[in-house]
Amino acid sequence: MKTDYLQYSLPNGIKLHFMPTQKFKTISIGLFIHQELNSELAALNALLPSVLEKGCRLYPDYLTLQRKLENLFGADLSTDIIKSGERHTLAFSMETAHDRYLGENSNLLRESLAILSAVLTDPLLENGAFSEKYVKQEKSQLVKDIKALLNDKATYATERCLAEMCTGERFGVFRLGKIEDYDKINPTELYQYYKQLLACNPVDIYVVGDLNKQEVLDAVGRFFNFSRDKKEINLPATEQKAARTEVLSLEEQMSVNQAKLVLGYRTAIGFKDELHCALLVYSGILGGFPHSKLFMKVREEAGLAYYIHSRLERHKGLMLIAAGINYADQQQARAIIELQLSDLTEGKISDTELENTKRGLVNQLLSRQDSPSQMISFHLDGKIGGYNYSFEQLIEGIEKVSLTEITTVAERIKLDTTFLLRPAEGGEQSDD
Amino acid sequence: MTELFKLIENKTLQEKLYHFRVDPGMDLYVLPRSGYRKKYAIFSTRFGSIDNKFRIEPEQQFTDLPDGVAHFLEHKLFEDKLGNVFDRFAALGASANAYTSFTQTTYLFSCTDRFAESFKVLLDFVQEPYFTEQTVQKEQGIIGQEIKMYDDHPHWRVFFNLLESLYQAHPVRNDIAGTVESIARITPELLYRCYNTFYHPSNMAVFVVGDLNPQQVYSLTAENLAAKNYSPLGTIVRSFPAEPSEVLKRRAEQSLVVSEPLVFIGYKDIFVEHLEGRELMRREILMELVLDILFGTSERLYNDLYHDDLIDENFGAEYTAESNYGYVMIGGETKDPERLCERIIGAIEAMNNEGINEEQFERHRRKILGGYIRRFNSLEFIANNFLAYRFRETDLFELPSLLQEIRLEEVLALAAENLETQRHAVSLILPAG
Repeated sequence: MKTDYLQYSLPNGIKLHFMPTQKFKTISIGLFIHQELNSELAALNALLPSVLEKGCRLYPDYLTLQRKLENLFGADLSTDIIKSGERHTLAFSMETAHDRYLGENSNLLRESLAILSAVLTDPLLENGAFSEKYVKQEKSQLVKDIKALLNDKATYATERCLAEMCTGERFGVFRLGKIEDYDKINPTELYQYYKQLLACNPVDIYVVGDLNKQEVLDAVGRFFNFSRDKKEINLPATEQKAARTEVLSLEEQMSVNQAKLVLGYRTAIGFKDELHCALLVYSGILGGFPHSKLFMKVREEAGLAYYIHSRLERHKGLMLIAAGINYADQQQARAIIELQLSDLTEGKISDTELENTKRGLVNQLLSRQDSPSQMISFHLDGKIGGYNYSFEQLIEGIEKVSLTEITTVAERIKLDTTFLLRPAEGGEQSDD
Repeated sequence: MTELFKLIENKTLQEKLYHFRVDPGMDLYVLPRSGYRKKYAIFSTRFGSIDNKFRIEPEQQFTDLPDGVAHFLEHKLFEDKLGNVFDRFAALGASANAYTSFTQTTYLFSCTDRFAESFKVLLDFVQEPYFTEQTVQKEQGIIGQEIKMYDDHPHWRVFFNLLESLYQAHPVRNDIAGTVESIARITPELLYRCYNTFYHPSNMAVFVVGDLNPQQVYSLTAENLAAKNYSPLGTIVRSFPAEPSEVLKRRAEQSLVVSEPLVFIGYKDIFVEHLEGRELMRREILMELVLDILFGTSERLYNDLYHDDLIDENFGAEYTAESNYGYVMIGGETKDPERLCERIIGAIEAMNNEGINEEQFERHRRKILGGYIRRFNSLEFIANNFLAYRFRETDLFELPSLLQEIRLEEVLALAAENLETQRHAVSLILPAG
């Protein structure tokens, strides 16, 4: 099955990507406004989707909007703010059941786009500014969300490692900005910023479902044909930085049962790098799967962890290893992890490991084609990274990766920062 | 080999499901889904964390289990004489996993190539137990870490602290993974004893979904099971302690490192044990409507609480019903748990007094139908839920027709019966330090 998008450019510069497919039971729409990630704008960007969703001129409060959506058979409108590389993207998604299954004479594509357009282009205004009530309310919610990072200890440890590792870089900015950023924001300034964003920044609209090309073009054209600046701004690319010469090692004590270890590496391989596929295979062999070295050695053989894995931030070229362990086992776990990395550098990789990892990666890529939201995020990743790989291209790239390329990758990978969240001394440790 | 099957059709979803009986008495379901790259298969047994006391007819003596055996067994099946099962799936490009709930253990894989071979690996490894002193001991370390991870998890703790308060005796009050102490009592003999009881095909079922030919999947399954030469198994008798209708305690509190208090209110359903099959599912749908009308994002209460800064968008309510226990849980993070609880209990009383209107009923019914259809995009959702319902003698495909049948008066009657203040408990996580 072909998985290509039909691509169009609206007269105002908005890009439309439409994928006709009969596979799904839904009509899925995604709308993304791209901005650069930086510390001045982070809180403004994070606040906008939440404020917009809470009320617009047609649906002036959340309750009214939710009732409208429920009557459209529980259409799901959700908003988000995505940090990907040094990009900060405002995300709006809408999903409805396809009319075909509802036995009613409905037009859920048009209805969905009309609502999305109302939320984005016709917000609730008071004296030329966003509603003061909603801005205040959402500021308070986002401040709570920032504090709530503490609640999931694995995520907390990961974010702390990244923040320390990338201090002074744009990537070091947290997805929701800082608590103190929110004090300064007022409804007028926020609205002025939003107008500028909508007029000048790149916007992508995705539509996936069993729909006719003309009806999609007509509906999107009708609801998103607002006027924008002639020239879109160019957003800076994500920058790569070399690892620090001396590894930064950090520890934090907390009243917890399990220690969380996070190791942050710089790969010096960006999204468009010719070693991109080799990096995917490298991280896969190391810790991307249950057959990977880290899982086999640290968990299955030594029994030290329940979870241990390596993950990539492909735009920024970072690799993180994360594990939950007993604090007392920390050195042993570190030693086993380091041995796996040095084995990769020395090319100690069996044919089975190499082949199984390639197959696993290909399976993951093909599986993404069975989910509308994954199809959208796959393409969006390309827009953010500045190059749209096709599935076929990535699969071919992965299959061709050689042992030599993997050892080249291994040589480039440098440990930068380590972070250990550990049980407080004298606290409720039940370590043996 | 062509085998007779029963065709289960769903007009709303426009899906056709093939149901086969495979010797010795296992149900196999195949849902063809054209155009999908992925094939997804699950192999499930009716053995979960609550099945901790049982015998096989004609035995008289019951076997008692320490907490966490079903989950432990799930972990241990991934290792056999040939080594690690993950490697076998990996060689075929398949992705494998498993999970244990209160009532079942499920083994699964998904693949985009070489389905027949991966399917054989799934069927084989689940049917080949291999437990030794040494492998059991190593697993105690791994699961010990899993337990510690959950011990630091506020949502997991608030949930189990609530079940421990609602229930006095029923094993649903015990953590699925058990405790570090309870799993220390697990031996290879005990695992074999459970395996030989609950992993007989007559206590299991398979669900496969993807772009596949049902007859071929049947043949693969039938040949695989035939080669194992099963003897018939006596009826499994499970024993559950009598559960009083009163809750054990009104309130549970625990301190953890969290940014804000976390509170769940729970209600124990004491009527659910008399229901089965379609009636159980009817109750579930009715309760979903009750809770959505009370606490949903389109209703007054949610919006007032949000505006008063008493909840965030993760606030929600859920109902769970199995054949011998059931509960409602409502809650989320809040700066003021006492006020939030008052408002929740107040809203329930108000509904009992003021009722609900046709418009609300109809709107929420449409929402449930649309949400149901949307979820059928996911092969995992279909397979996992179909068997979970099947194990309760109900049918996931019945939802649209049940949704048509239910009436507004039933919703109100159930709210009064099931959200009874006498049977509620509150679980609180408070910020440490």
